[in-house]
Amino acid sequence: MRQLLFEFPGNTAILEKVGNLAADAGRNAGFDDMEIGDIELAVDEICSNTIIHGLKRDPTRMFQLVIQWEKGFIEILVHEDGEPFNPAAVQPPDLTASVEERTIGGLGIFFVHKVMDEVEYHTDKDGIKTFRMSKRAKSNS
Amino acid sequence: MNVTENMLNNISHIMLEGRFDADTPAIVEKIIREKIEKGVYRFILDMEKVLFVASAGLRVILVIAKDLRQHHGDLYIASLQTNVRRVFEISGLDNALHIFEDAEAAARNFDE
Repeated sequence: MRQLLFEFPGNTAILEKVGNLAADAGRNAGFDDMEIGDIELAVDEICSNTIIHGLKRDPTRMFQLVIQWEKGFIEILVHEDGEPFNPAAVQPPDLTASVEERTIGGLGIFFVHKVMDEVEYHTDKDGIKTFRMSKRAKSNS
Repeated sequence: MNVTENMLNNISHIMLEGRFDADTPAIVEKIIREKIEKGVYRFILDMEKVLFVASAGLRVILVIAKDLRQHHGDLYIASLQTNVRRVFEISGLDNALHIFEDAEAAARNFDE
């Protein structure tokens, strides 16, 4: 399995770079264009959450991003030691609500669950939070 | 993200170029809010040159559309690229918002 490891600051300006790295890895793993878009969306949402909620947009604080892949498979991990955040507590959005009734939050985590095959989250004894997600190519090319 | 704006027949056309993620909503919202303060309530958001949108972008669109509808206005969405349209569809907002093939079709709908 190929692996890339990065350290990024708590600054949303890095999201484009993160998205491009994940899309390149997805392309190398043989995912199709729609699946690559899904992977880019998922990594953007997780890193946005990490930067905004975990690191409070503090550019002096860092998080780790690991992207690993092989033919037809990709796995992405985000490690950070910021503020506690429980994605399981986020209420899923009501997809059928009108604009007037629709609430604002919860969409990012919902997207991640929707477009990735496996999504896991845990905090270790030292307070390091890890978000892990993976996806397998439909064509397995 | 580049944002350009021009008024045509009392409709504000906002053209976006680049990524619409958590790094960019503030500038888009600021430009639209400034127009709303001047009494403009009809907007077309032309997304032809947007190749990526995340939940943060959709959140801004939803917040603004809510406000405009309270003033009997609206924010019409135009020219979505395939990957971007898919994100609207996953969110369910493709049914709640008015989405058009292009800016001309959106403008015609405001006139009707």
